[in-house]
Amino acid sequence: MQLLNQLNFSRLSRSQIRTFKDKLMAFNMAVGGIGVIIAIVLIFFYLVYIVYPLFKSADISKINQFPVNAQYGQTLHLAIEEQNKIAVQYTSEGYALFFDTQTGKQIKQVSLLANHKAEVTSFKISQLVNDTVILGLSNGRALIVKHYFSISYPDDKMHIEPKIIYPVGEQSILVDNKKQPLVDVAYQQDDEQATIIAITKDSRILMALLQKESSGLLEEDDEESTAEFTQTIIALPQIQDASSVLIEPQQRIAYIAKKSGEVTVVDISEADNINVIEKVNLLKDNQILTSFTFLTGGISILVGNNEGEIAQWFPVKKDNIPYLTFIRSFNQQQSSIIDIETEQRRKGFISVTNEGQISIFNSTAKREVLNTIIPETPIQHIALSPRADFLITANDKEITTWHIENEHPEVSWAILWEQIWYESYSEPEYTWQSSSADNDFEPKYSFMPLAFGTLKAAFYAMLFAIPLALMGAIYTAYFMAPKMRAVVKPTIEIMEALPTVILGFLAGLWLAPFLEKNLVGVFSLLIVMPIGILLFSFAWQALPKKIRAQVPDGWHAALLIPVIFFLGWLALSLSPQLESLFFNGNIQLWLKTSLGLDFDQRNALVVGIAMGVAVIPTIFSIAEDAIFSVPKHLTFGSLALGATPWQTLIRVVILTASPGIFSAVMIGMGRAVGETMIVLMATGNTPVMDFSIFQGMRTLSANIAVEVPEAEVASTHYRILFLAALVLFLFTFIFNTAAEIVRHRLRKKYSSL
Amino acid sequence: MENTLTQNIITDTTNKLSDEKECLKVNNLNLHYGDKQALFDINLSIPEKRVSAFIGPSGCGKSTLLRCFNRMNDLVDNCHIDGSIELNGENIFAKGVDVANLRQKIGMVFQKPNPFPKSVYENVAYGLRLQGESNRRKMDEVVEKSLKGAALWDEVKDRLHDSALGLSGGQQQRLVIARAIAIEPEVLLLDEPASALDPISTLKIEELIHELKQNYTIVIVTHNMQQAARVSDYTAFLYMGKLIEFDNTNQIFTNPSTKQTEDYITGRYG
Repeated sequence: MQLLNQLNFSRLSRSQIRTFKDKLMAFNMAVGGIGVIIAIVLIFFYLVYIVYPLFKSADISKINQFPVNAQYGQTLHLAIEEQNKIAVQYTSEGYALFFDTQTGKQIKQVSLLANHKAEVTSFKISQLVNDTVILGLSNGRALIVKHYFSISYPDDKMHIEPKIIYPVGEQSILVDNKKQPLVDVAYQQDDEQATIIAITKDSRILMALLQKESSGLLEEDDEESTAEFTQTIIALPQIQDASSVLIEPQQRIAYIAKKSGEVTVVDISEADNINVIEKVNLLKDNQILTSFTFLTGGISILVGNNEGEIAQWFPVKKDNIPYLTFIRSFNQQQSSIIDIETEQRRKGFISVTNEGQISIFNSTAKREVLNTIIPETPIQHIALSPRADFLITANDKEITTWHIENEHPEVSWAILWEQIWYESYSEPEYTWQSSSADNDFEPKYSFMPLAFGTLKAAFYAMLFAIPLALMGAIYTAYFMAPKMRAVVKPTIEIMEALPTVILGFLAGLWLAPFLEKNLVGVFSLLIVMPIGILLFSFAWQALPKKIRAQVPDGWHAALLIPVIFFLGWLALSLSPQLESLFFNGNIQLWLKTSLGLDFDQRNALVVGIAMGVAVIPTIFSIAEDAIFSVPKHLTFGSLALGATPWQTLIRVVILTASPGIFSAVMIGMGRAVGETMIVLMATGNTPVMDFSIFQGMRTLSANIAVEVPEAEVASTHYRILFLAALVLFLFTFIFNTAAEIVRHRLRKKYSSL
Repeated sequence: MENTLTQNIITDTTNKLSDEKECLKVNNLNLHYGDKQALFDINLSIPEKRVSAFIGPSGCGKSTLLRCFNRMNDLVDNCHIDGSIELNGENIFAKGVDVANLRQKIGMVFQKPNPFPKSVYENVAYGLRLQGESNRRKMDEVVEKSLKGAALWDEVKDRLHDSALGLSGGQQQRLVIARAIAIEPEVLLLDEPASALDPISTLKIEELIHELKQNYTIVIVTHNMQQAARVSDYTAFLYMGKLIEFDNTNQIFTNPSTKQTEDYITGRYG
């Protein structure tokens, strides 16, 4: 009852109403302020939430385990089809066994050697030709086999039918006329030809070349083989103790390795001119080569040794000759590497040691996303599914299936911020190249060119904006007549409302071609403008006092408007003459030949001017306020001590206004860093790292705007773009925080004025 | 303290204005702010190395007149001045007079202390630096001498390089005086220098003025008649933009020659 009485409005005293209003407003302001902070924190956390999976390590979990059917001999190789439903097991007795990965139940068995009177003496998968393996036989012949899964949908249910096909015919291919057993084999094919290289038991190295005669063969996933071949056998240079051989996909180079790690690189591109390019030692003394395999793409070779080291090598061209070069090594394992299985669609691989340590790596990122020990009986074979989400480990007794969760292994600190040596590059570089039409292509995600482009764009914009905005602010606040100031200041401030998309549009479509055509004229403005203005002011001083008195104090700037227009017209109309006088009529060519500078139409000059125009109102407005609010008694104090207005300006006014001027510049800088539309339209968006004013750039913000629409949601690319957003967020956050801290310190120093 | 001041005034009674050496001479000065006339036909001569006080009610034009001496009125829009002011016989409004130079000769201290946001040392050295002085030793000497002259040295000698904004109001005002005397002006204009200060600081400023008149011609504008009586040798009474009376301070306060002055002094209006 009492409460109701108090709430009765008419009974409230004036002071109670006032207190109530006070509290209400205080509450509103608190809610508003905290709301803003919460909104920013939420944005930040959302970005982190999207980005976090990039840095998550991989997970492995066991699905099932079933015994190995030992009657077909030892396991040579395991492979899984796309859907992870059926796997194939090649055995030493020459069988291909298809089994269900869920239950281990055998679905189909094919005897590969039914018609051959020989045993399997060597085996290799031809990594880069889909699902193809080569069996080296004891009679000097080799058999090429491909497992194939045909998918059909009877009754709307997916049915997978496993098959074995023979890409070069059911007959085995004679490699060694002496019919020695083949201890190691390699196979590679394309549309035109196929190459087999084999090492015989008596250490000869032979190459069998199959050249196609008619069409219709060797095409991928073709079930029947009908083509005819001509076959040539060529002896390669003799190498003692050769143990392993690889052929690169173009069938131009073969790598023949010894157990000691010595690799002979042989040029096999011309059958009648086989020559050794070089011999390289991939290992240190006393180390033994235990694994020698291509990374997907067939350019890099992964080398594993008995001490648990894994290294990546690939050919780097020097004088147009490819030399096998050490690129990077990976986290050392605890014991001997027994198998390296590469992913089919990413530059990733999985290694297994003789103690059951399994690690998953990404080669380019040099990142180990998983390192675990499977403590059961030693693993002898591993197989990774095409999508790299399913793993089979096998030994003599049992087969185990695993699920792998490894979504984003490609990203690491080094990928983003350090120079990375990509395949086919002659040296490590910062590269941003997120997508391409080619599937074999590896995306390159270096933030350096983008961060560089962002800062470059901001730098040139500030170079243009700071002098103009600050000089303008000083003149307007300190010298200009109040009436003129009342017109000038709001006019410039209203420019801030100009949509940047219009500025960008003008910059890209009008300013860029204009600058290209009138480059000399625009640069001559830098000389013509100050000289012309000085000449004009001297001429003005020389005029009789009567005429000068016509212009009231503080209005003199208005006199310069026609002068500036005239000087601009003069410089631009003299442009062709100057160009032919000093630069042989073509400044772009002159820049190229005399200074070695390339000229892009959309370059930092265009961006500097356009973004400068966008930033000037911000800087001008804040700086002008700061200078204008310097207390008059300080100016008077200085003038009364005999200082000229100029001395007062330099020594007192600017000093006192410095916190405001500084924050004006920093806020302008923050705006330039985050600006999107202008840089999107006027930079050319080339992610190059060249500070030249005549070159374009690609900024973080424009990059996000360009690429987000085409990035698949939740893909690595998508998440990296969010990471770029986070970096941009941190950039502006750091700029603004630094500005605020410095401003506070300066303000403290100059407080109590 | 009171004693010495009173004695001073008594000894000064013997002085006649006409006997003094003339420093500043104002001739037929009329000043307009736009259409409004603020000073009417002022004629007066300020004696050298004496303290002259301008008193009068608010808006009587005493500060305006003071600001004419170092041409601070130039900074006011629409201010128009007729007549002349002579410093040592030379018209300060004449063509070709360098205003900055003039202001070095005629220093000024404002009502509100206005030290620059710099160190104590730099505040005092400011005027010298303006003139291009860069000799460190010379500057040290001048700073010390000026601070001693402004009776501030003992209080700030240990913190010469701290911000001047950390000083108290009274100290700041004495710092401003030190800053003004560092460039050795001939005349020091004080525009109500103690009105923003507490009584003790005011007393210190008054003592300082008494010291300073040994070397400088001082013109002080004050609201406070007791202060005028205490510190000045001569007093001018202005009313409605006109100079009513200018005479020996003792004369003005004990035996004013006009009715208006007497009314003001006795508190009938103002």
